[in-house]
Amino acid sequence: MAPVMSRVMSRPQPRTALVVLACVAACVAPLVLPDLTFFMRMVMAAIVVTGLSMLMGYSGQASLGQGAFVAAGALTVAVGTTRFELPPLVALLAAPLVAAGFAALVGVPLLRLHGHYLAFGTLALLLMVQAAMSTFDVLGGALGVSGIPPLGVGDRVVVGQLPYVYLALGCLGLVLLLSHRTVHSRFGRGIQALAGSQTAAESAGVPVNRSKVTIFALSAGYAGLAGGLSAFFTPYVSPDSFPALESFTYVIMAVVGGLGTIWGGVVGAVIVSVLLQVLNTVSSQPGLPPTAAPIMQYATYGALLVLALLFMPRGVVPSVDAGVGRLLERARVEAPG
Amino acid sequence: MLKVERMSKHFGGVYANRDVSLEVAEGELRGVIGPNGAGKSTLFNLIAGHLRPDAGSISLAGAHIDRLPPHVRARRGVAIVFQGARLFAGMSLLQNVMVGAHARSRAGLVSAAFRPPAQRREEREIRTQAEQCLDRVGLLELADRPAEGLPLGQQRRLQVARALAGRPRLLLLDEPASGLRAAERTQLADLIRELNGAGTTILLVEHDVGMVTSLAHRITVLDLGTVIADGTPAEVTSDPAVVKAYLGTGADHAAHH
Ligand SMILES: Nc1ncnc2c1ncn2[C@@H]1O[C@H](COP(=O)(O)OP(=O)(O)O)[C@@H](O)[C@H]1O
Ligand SMILES: [Mg+2]
Repeated sequence: MAPVMSRVMSRPQPRTALVVLACVAACVAPLVLPDLTFFMRMVMAAIVVTGLSMLMGYSGQASLGQGAFVAAGALTVAVGTTRFELPPLVALLAAPLVAAGFAALVGVPLLRLHGHYLAFGTLALLLMVQAAMSTFDVLGGALGVSGIPPLGVGDRVVVGQLPYVYLALGCLGLVLLLSHRTVHSRFGRGIQALAGSQTAAESAGVPVNRSKVTIFALSAGYAGLAGGLSAFFTPYVSPDSFPALESFTYVIMAVVGGLGTIWGGVVGAVIVSVLLQVLNTVSSQPGLPPTAAPIMQYATYGALLVLALLFMPRGVVPSVDAGVGRLLERARVEAPG
Repeated sequence: MLKVERMSKHFGGVYANRDVSLEVAEGELRGVIGPNGAGKSTLFNLIAGHLRPDAGSISLAGAHIDRLPPHVRARRGVAIVFQGARLFAGMSLLQNVMVGAHARSRAGLVSAAFRPPAQRREEREIRTQAEQCLDRVGLLELADRPAEGLPLGQQRRLQVARALAGRPRLLLLDEPASGLRAAERTQLADLIRELNGAGTTILLVEHDVGMVTSLAHRITVLDLGTVIADGTPAEVTSDPAVVKAYLGTGADHAAHH
């Protein structure tokens, strides 16, 4: 990861151009795309995966249950606006905070687990959240929460899908900036250090347990933000809104995009989302059995992981980064001066 | 400055430290020697807080630190260079050393997000000082290289630089010269003398007894987890018990290799 970062620092121009291009594409896409729901889901996945990629790539902790925090954010909006009459904007701002607070609370015991145990612990957490949602009527019960009001201030409310899409894009931008600043800070160095050697990090003065909980809560805050946005975009929240498969998808997106990079989450979310959409279209062709869709989805996940591990073990962003670096190097050699 | 009283630590049936008492004065350079398995690293890990003693107590500048976790002891001025390389993989040499400044800086996540002037100033100061620390151990040219895959000698020096970045009051050096070439050893010895001259209290564990006797004010000798001698280098090296412990294992070594 470090060689990548130092290489990035030494040749900023092509990267800056790529980022500008991506921003322009992201802003234009909603205006030309026929299906905004797909695009919105992709942007929200990108927000979640940016946090997850930071958690996995920099602090070395995995979570198979980010959906639990997406749910926490969505419930904050759904229950907050329908039951407690919170103004929609306040509910949206509260969503990441509630999710982060929830993560901090469960993180204290959960983060004593390591590796696979932690991954399964977070998955168990998601299942518990689902169970709680269908059991307790406050959280919607089996029917879920509906009647979530549109986002707005006073009488001015958001109409249509487009404003939500741009709001989500703005949030994604904010989340990327926050991740960048977090990683390149004293706190971020502490996180990376404890992934390298917990003992050495501690003796350098890094409060290991607190740092782990903090980064866990931050990534949960991103998930909660995505959840809050989704509750306004699709104003219905039920236990089925957060299937475990979606949380696995986040992990696959993070790995495919490349852990330990700021942009890996976005790239992974785009690649996997587009691929799934294509598969969806193919598998819903007439003549194919209804089981075709899930089978193809699982097969794709398997194939993606194997391909990624074989050809791009560090993920797309670092590999492309290194590839572009080599190309530029060759161009310089062939065309001196 | 540092006072260890009747401290014991055992692993299963093995006493790694048994009734170890030790008093180190402010500004002292204390050598700690003893054969392999004598309990030197265990003693250091107990002082730094990575191990909990079964009995006994440790105080630093008059305050008990027994119950403090390692990162709080670091804030109180304790730094350790581990015997094994414990570097932060995935980070550059400079970043590794910048982590060492954690003990004396404070910016958290909120200031990372908003980057107020105080945070920027602290970051600049940490970077500059980390570069100075790398320079002191002769690794400045490699500042942007990744830490993994460094030759052993450079790993040791990087660890020393990381410890220095915390500006410790008490520096624990566990065999810092192992894996270093002769020229590097001399440089390290000079650096240790210089740091101690500037007021840092140092505990030095080193296999190279010649290096320890030339640097240390006093030497503590451990064998099988207990202190068998404590005194000036001249006193210790002529102590019959020390000679016996060393010759005993020396003969063992010869037989093994
Ligand atoms: N974590 C541990 N678990 C079990 N035994 C240990 C552990 N650490 C040290 N020991 C044992 O304690 C004794 C002292 O070890 P150590 O402090 O590393 O000695 P030294 O640094 O003087 O070579 C040895 O017998 C060693 O095997
Ligand atoms: Mg040792």
